[in-house]
Amino acid sequence: MVTTIVGRLSQAALLLLVMSVIGFVGIHSVGNPVYNIVNIETATAADIRNATIALGLDQPLWRQYLLFMGNVVTGNFGTSYIYHLPAFDLVMSKLPATLELASMAMLIAAPCGTLLGLLAGRRQGCAIDRAILKASVFALSIPSFWLSMVLILVGAITLGWFPSGGRGPTVSLVGQEWSFLTLEGLRRLTLPALALAIPNIALIARLARAGTIEVESQDFVRFCRAKGLSARRILFRHTLPNISIPIVTIVGMQFGGMLAFAVVVETIFAWPGIGKLLIDSIQLLDRPVVMATLTFVSLAFVGLNALVDLLYAVLDPRVRLST
Amino acid sequence: MQSLHRLRTYTLVASVATAVSAGFLGTSAMAEDLRIGTQLKLMTLDPHYADLNENNSLLSHIYERLVIQDRQLNPQPGLAISWKRLSETQWEFKLRDGVRFHDGSPFTAQDVIYSIERIRDFLKPPSGGFQTYTQAIKSVTAPDPMTVVIETSSDVPTLPLSMTSIFIMGHKSGDFATTQDVNSGKQSVGTGPYKFQSWQSGEVLSLMRNDAYWGSAPAWSEVAFQVIESPAARVAALTTGDVDLADYIPSRDVEGLERRGLAIESTSAARSNFLQFDIAREKPPGITDKAGNAVKNPFRDERVRQALTMATDRPFLAEKILLGYGTPAAQLFPTGLSGTSPNLTVAPPDYGGAKALLTEAGFPDGFKVVLAGPAGRYPGDSESLQSIAQNWARIGVSAQPVVAPFSVFATQRSDGAYPVWYGGCSGEAVTFCLRAVLGSPDAKSGAGSLNYGKYQNQTFDAMLEKAMSMEDGPDRSAAIAGATELAMADYPMLPLYHFHLIVGHGQKVGSYAVHPRGWTTAMQAVPSEE
Amino acid sequence: MKANTLRALWKRHRGMSISLPGFLLAAYVLLALAAPLIAPQNPYDPLQIYGWEASSPPGTMGGPGYFYLLGTDGLGRDILSTILYGLRISLVVSITSTVVAALIGLTAGVSAAYFGRWVDVVIMRIVDLQLSLPTILVALIAIVTLGPGIDRIILAIIIVQWATYARVIRGVALSETGKPYLDAARLLRLPTRRVLFRHLLPNSIAPAITLIPIELGHAVALEATLSFLGLGVPVDKPSLGSTVANGFQYLMTGQYWISLFPGLALFGLIASINFVGEGVRRSLDPRSRSV
Repeated sequence: MVTTIVGRLSQAALLLLVMSVIGFVGIHSVGNPVYNIVNIETATAADIRNATIALGLDQPLWRQYLLFMGNVVTGNFGTSYIYHLPAFDLVMSKLPATLELASMAMLIAAPCGTLLGLLAGRRQGCAIDRAILKASVFALSIPSFWLSMVLILVGAITLGWFPSGGRGPTVSLVGQEWSFLTLEGLRRLTLPALALAIPNIALIARLARAGTIEVESQDFVRFCRAKGLSARRILFRHTLPNISIPIVTIVGMQFGGMLAFAVVVETIFAWPGIGKLLIDSIQLLDRPVVMATLTFVSLAFVGLNALVDLLYAVLDPRVRLST
Repeated sequence: MQSLHRLRTYTLVASVATAVSAGFLGTSAMAEDLRIGTQLKLMTLDPHYADLNENNSLLSHIYERLVIQDRQLNPQPGLAISWKRLSETQWEFKLRDGVRFHDGSPFTAQDVIYSIERIRDFLKPPSGGFQTYTQAIKSVTAPDPMTVVIETSSDVPTLPLSMTSIFIMGHKSGDFATTQDVNSGKQSVGTGPYKFQSWQSGEVLSLMRNDAYWGSAPAWSEVAFQVIESPAARVAALTTGDVDLADYIPSRDVEGLERRGLAIESTSAARSNFLQFDIAREKPPGITDKAGNAVKNPFRDERVRQALTMATDRPFLAEKILLGYGTPAAQLFPTGLSGTSPNLTVAPPDYGGAKALLTEAGFPDGFKVVLAGPAGRYPGDSESLQSIAQNWARIGVSAQPVVAPFSVFATQRSDGAYPVWYGGCSGEAVTFCLRAVLGSPDAKSGAGSLNYGKYQNQTFDAMLEKAMSMEDGPDRSAAIAGATELAMADYPMLPLYHFHLIVGHGQKVGSYAVHPRGWTTAMQAVPSEE
Repeated sequence: MKANTLRALWKRHRGMSISLPGFLLAAYVLLALAAPLIAPQNPYDPLQIYGWEASSPPGTMGGPGYFYLLGTDGLGRDILSTILYGLRISLVVSITSTVVAALIGLTAGVSAAYFGRWVDVVIMRIVDLQLSLPTILVALIAIVTLGPGIDRIILAIIIVQWATYARVIRGVALSETGKPYLDAARLLRLPTRRVLFRHLLPNSIAPAITLIPIELGHAVALEATLSFLGLGVPVDKPSLGSTVANGFQYLMTGQYWISLFPGLALFGLIASINFVGEGVRRSLDPRSRSV
């Protein structure tokens, strides 16, 4: 157990190190962020040179990197070139928006997907099963940016039921600003959450279907049936708990993925979350923020995967026994 | 343990419940609040940190300057009621009486001194920014609490104009406030018509009416600026009524907005966008003949530049790309403004004539060239490049449009990676742009700071210099126009268009006066009378 | 001895009637191949585009003899032609990157399994690193570092995808290495390359085959996404993804056709690839085949 934890930690550290080098060099090679900071239409060459020096960008790249890493070790990712705020705080301030979006999407996706999967699995081979399977392939095939646009076209422009973008008014809770606590906030959350949820419904449904088929063919279910238990009771009391492990796994993994994949959805819906911050910062070459965001998302992703493994052990007594 | 758990749950539920009710209260709209969707991203709350349109526009609600610029760009009294020149290097400003800061303290000469010294001596922002305005200032003194004397190290006839850029911050005893302090919002105390309420970086700036304002009472009780950078999202927010007013509306959306009953206001911006050619180098990268072999720089030949100008369909750019919200350009500021020439006009494209000129210049088969520009920085930038490529193809010049995010483009441009590119200039007067875009580059004087193509014409430099030293009036204007005509005869660059600034608003706003400098403020919005 | 999986697969497939998605996919490929012949306009040739006819709705009769069946975009490009030419870019990018990624991934996976020790450690550590990050993130970092351009997109997708193949095939190959035929091959002192590519690889390739259509679908979507985010193809040579992105700006103006039709085409392409992939997977997986 200890060795796996150590292994994981060292792997995560290596991952972050490699990524920081690539990200650092990558952003550096793209261009000089100074052009976003000075007023380019009025700045003189001297202004630009001074700004470059002030940001330390005149130094050789390796020295910049060492300086950066030195600061990171003390938990300081530097100050955003654009917003003049500590980069990591900036990322954290965007976290609630992304978190509530991803949670809402999962709250839609997990129950819907599981139910559809159970339904399909129970009626394996029937019309409804085939329809769900087919629909799931379609849902997994829609490019997320196009799905978002279609949702805007239908839900916001044609029907006018939902706003087409932006986050609603926020309310402070546990020291963070959340928008899901207001009606308006929920209304705005709907379309982007749907855009993130739809492919995940399909994914979870397919998994739940496969699990249901496997479980239902096992002896204990036959035994239950012979005992005369109702189909519903078998489904919810026996089948469901037994297929929950792969579902929890996929929910956890997809949740991590959403933090990153929200890039596209957040961009289209003008949702001020981490994904949008990342894309904006890449465009603006705001290196401290890019590095802080990348580090945070990777850490979250790795951490969530570890958490999933842990949950796995809790949910499945066999795993616990074997370790 | 169990009870503790229950207690915790209860607290959580209670806090959620209060939060929910607070949320509902928050959404019930008050009659006099104004919500503005803006493209301008407020980067910092420090009014002395970065001299960017974004900051100046939004912070002008909270802070004021000694001198302000009206819509005709003329200086007008702000926090100073009058100013006069005492000597070559001394200026006296009489301050306005009875002005109070948001925290109640009175506005005095000490605040002016504090603000100027904070910029000149204390702040070391990477952008330099405001120091341009203070570097000539030797000392600031206060003969009495309502008078400020500024002494400059040399003769600076434009000092009042410099003062239109400096926001006055309330002074504190002790040290200067750091940018971090100011960013926290606690010290966002000015004299402006609106008081600072809250700021979420890159999202929302909330302001409330300053009831003690010295001028006419501010019209709105609360103002919320919502930063929505994507134009489509801004339009959407205006359409659905999420905001009452939105700036920088793309021209393509105007028709749809008007159809939905929203009002549109626009004005021609004091600026231009243009193509610049690399005129200096023998062999800049990105130019080859049709077979891909290196060629001598065609842009060094004036006839080639003329041919490309003739082959560029500028009316099309104004009418079809900007959908009428733009004027074809033949010079740096829209014709009619002070210092522009009425003799410079835009002709419809003449492909035959252009082709003949190109042949004469020794390029009968044309050439291949990379046509670079920023993506989404200015209205119609990337579309214009593609449209120009379509034009130039008619005379055998095969242009490959290359667009990149602005900072990437700007880095490449200053590294000399492009042979011809898209640029823009705006400023408080046309002389600024003439000097920056067409003046011979001179690091010391700052001339030619946007002249990346290295066009040089000593006669023009001298004419402009002479014109700028003249006293304001028709003669000066004519002299500037004359210099412009002289330079434009060389086709040093290719003016494309002056785009219009478009603002859309809903019923709540009765009228809105668009400022040619591109500022968006609540002060420009007049409530409708119901 | 060489249980030729490919041949078995082919036999099985021949028996199946050609499915609708397969037909659709074939049609897509044919349309892409024939684009220069059938498209009304070459949207990449500035001389064929008439700017004054920009933003024409579907079914407009154009001046120079064009019939804009699906309308034109904001610069006057015929949407139908843009779709056909964009399809070529999407397919070239996704097929090239998938094939190369598969080749690299398979080689790396087999090598890791066969050589073991430090080769295995190094290769699998890189694979683990990469797979522990979301694909879109890896693609973003890659494209930012590499710069824009079609070739760079291909490279970025290869970088993203090779690891999946490597991990899958290593697992299978590892279980094959213990089998007698490999010992025999080694005893015969066959050259390593021969053992690797003529024996080990063909015998462990089956699971990777089912991976190819899935990854192909991913590649199409990834190219489109990168292009959509403005990190992809040149502006004057729009792919399906960047055409949709262009259309996004016009969404509020009511000019739905600029984004809707290319999006539908893209959706259809990915869906048909995925359905074909599903078919391939089912025919290779005996458990689900019996269903």
